[in-house]
Amino acid sequence: MHDSHEPVIEIHDLVKAFGSFRALDGLDLSVVPGEVHGFLGPNGAGKSTTIRVLLGLLRSDAGTVRLLGGDPWRDAADLHRRLAYVPGDVSLWPNLSGGETLDLLIRMRGADPRQSRRDEMVERFALDPTKRGRAYSKGNRQKVALVAAFATDPELLILDEPTSGLDPLMEQVFNDCVAEHTARGATVLLSSHILSEVERLADRVTLIREGRVVETGTLDSLRHLQRTRLVAGLSGEVPDLGGLDGVHDVAVEGAKVTCTVDADALPGVLAALTAAGVTSLTSSPPSLEELFLDAYRDRAGAGR
Amino acid sequence: MSTTTGWRLLLGLALRRDRVLAAVWIAVLVLMSVASAAATPSLYADQADRVHAAEALNASPAIVALYGPVLDVTSEGELAMTKMTVLYAVFVAVLFVVVVRRHTRVEEETGRTELVGGTSVGRNAPLLAVAVETLLLAAALGVLTAVGNAVSGLAPSGSIAFGALWAGTGLVAAGIGAVTAQVSASARTCAGFAAATIGVLFVLRAAGDTGPEWLGWLSPLGWNTRVAAYGDTRWWLLAAYPVLTVALAAVAVALRGRRDLGSGLLAARPGPAEGSPRLTDALTLALRTTGTTLLLWTLAAGVLGVVFGMIAPGIGDLLDSETAQSLIDELGGELVAAILSVVAVVLTYFAATVVAHTARDETDGRAELVLATGTSRGAWFGATLVVALVGTALLLVVTGIGLWIGYVAADGPGIGNLLVAALAWVPAAWVVGALAVLSLAWGTRWSVLAWVWPAAFLVLGMLGDLLELPAWVSGLSPYAHVPSLPSEQWSWGSSGTLTALAVALLLVAWWRFRERDIH
Repeated sequence: MHDSHEPVIEIHDLVKAFGSFRALDGLDLSVVPGEVHGFLGPNGAGKSTTIRVLLGLLRSDAGTVRLLGGDPWRDAADLHRRLAYVPGDVSLWPNLSGGETLDLLIRMRGADPRQSRRDEMVERFALDPTKRGRAYSKGNRQKVALVAAFATDPELLILDEPTSGLDPLMEQVFNDCVAEHTARGATVLLSSHILSEVERLADRVTLIREGRVVETGTLDSLRHLQRTRLVAGLSGEVPDLGGLDGVHDVAVEGAKVTCTVDADALPGVLAALTAAGVTSLTSSPPSLEELFLDAYRDRAGAGR
Repeated sequence: MSTTTGWRLLLGLALRRDRVLAAVWIAVLVLMSVASAAATPSLYADQADRVHAAEALNASPAIVALYGPVLDVTSEGELAMTKMTVLYAVFVAVLFVVVVRRHTRVEEETGRTELVGGTSVGRNAPLLAVAVETLLLAAALGVLTAVGNAVSGLAPSGSIAFGALWAGTGLVAAGIGAVTAQVSASARTCAGFAAATIGVLFVLRAAGDTGPEWLGWLSPLGWNTRVAAYGDTRWWLLAAYPVLTVALAAVAVALRGRRDLGSGLLAARPGPAEGSPRLTDALTLALRTTGTTLLLWTLAAGVLGVVFGMIAPGIGDLLDSETAQSLIDELGGELVAAILSVVAVVLTYFAATVVAHTARDETDGRAELVLATGTSRGAWFGATLVVALVGTALLLVVTGIGLWIGYVAADGPGIGNLLVAALAWVPAAWVVGALAVLSLAWGTRWSVLAWVWPAAFLVLGMLGDLLELPAWVSGLSPYAHVPSLPSEQWSWGSSGTLTALAVALLLVAWWRFRERDIH
């Protein structure tokens, strides 16, 4: 097993350019043994590029990358027997059945499908293994990769937007599986572009944007990013929410008010809205892009 | 909304996507035709010389089986177009099948049809768009060929007939492509059906030209000869191509109406719930995914070998004097060599299909899935080159065995070991296969060159002969360095050099593949 003090993933000052485009521009990432690490960023931020460098598929232009104590470029095949990877967009061989693909992937990682939890996972994810690759939907292709990953006991699971094609029921199965693997001591790198998806599972998160780390830390230390977006329809007069602490982006349109609210300011805002007579209320987590815009605007404002 | 709404948009998209493929392919075909037309007059001193050459071609059943007969031996155009009329018409047919398949079944398999179908585009719009595209391509090919041949000095009316018959061949092939696209849910099965159909039509024609005449009338490729473009032209026969095309298109539309998007007439069978215990690594995976293709190629190579092997000794009927025995042996050997020189190039395309398959695995993300397991780059790359190169060698061996069986079955005179004659082509095929592998290793973007190399060298060899290019130019083709066994001697020098070159190319390919990014 891996030395428990050394980070499972250690990336420092990583640069990867495609032509003149710098996909990764001095990225740092550290994942310690046994944690679920959320890897967050909007589409195109460089999450998949980082993962591909970690898997030795892409060669880094500068910086250091250590994976499970080894060099992911030089020792790729050996390191890969100790991890499982689920790509964001799974493509299967058109003429191979799901069952064949599963067994192939498990065997290629050096495990025996018959001594794995393959059949149990097939059942839990409600996967029909007799279908051909070309006949699977996006969600089902993703399930094939997930079943192959969860069937064995790898030290590290690298999951790139793994739930993007799954329905809520399957998302629950997915969450259970991640919990089971962390319970036995596995480390998980979970990439996503939706904060709330990672919130449920992650111990720590790293936020990246344009190939650089914006924030990293425990979820608690990122509370300031966990705002809620509220849209309320009111029967009475619209109260002045902008005056309250922790309320941002207030916009009033007739009897409708929109704002984003910090977690600790929610009770005050809800009280004010209730007093004004709420006829409708929707709350949603803001997109990462919105959060980043906020963060940048705030920082630019503080600098002035 | 009609079922064809939006076809103009799709046509524009298709022409945009095909602009390089179709332009290059048509340009090469026209160039071959024009070069043949322009070169012929200088090859023969006078009419008698030409008639003699045409009669010599007709006297050899193997040549007739390969190219079709010269129906009018006095016609210069008929002689000039010997190789173009049938054999190169096959390349015309392949272009049109490729184009049709690309815009129908492949689009459905990748889900792009669904993307388009979600917009305001009718169900039959993709089929109509590709039909119009193939009409435009056929017209371009026909007109350019006719003009080119006429400008090169062949009879203008014959050139029009010839351009028309090439265009007609293309249209019929497009029809075949459209029908096969409806039959199966898989783009690969579609390609297999279409290739098999063209193969059957070619063999029907070969049988008709060397045996019962009526068999040739069943094949559009047989019509190509029977139109006699530069002889006593059967103009009415040109009408048969559009009639057959319309019939095939009607069948395709009828079939399309009977199936759902993404499915085929042949229902997809469920696969095994578990993988075979032997399916464990990159090599067994490559064999599993290309095994059916290799089997079909092997069958085709064997059958073609036996057919040509049986036809080749027919030369003996013409010269039955005892003293002519050595001449017969020599001619028989040359015929086998001529057949092998074409078959070897065609068989190299197996390597191209394997390379294309690996390239698609990479662009689609399946290579990423495999390379994130314990499978190393070396194993992944090695599997591709082993299947591509060993497969090509196997196909040549099977061809050699087929030739030998056919030759012996037809009581051919002893002309040496036909298996060795086939093996002589292996090093050259390996060099071209290694170039295909190198193209993939350089980057998936270059892997399309895998399809270009064999054709480019074939064209180079032919143009070298026709245009009397300097020896070093035609010498660029690896195929030019293969001794014409069995009439020539096996050369350890050339086979050794070619094999060493192939190994060197593979080493460069490996060095590059190890260093580059996988996308």
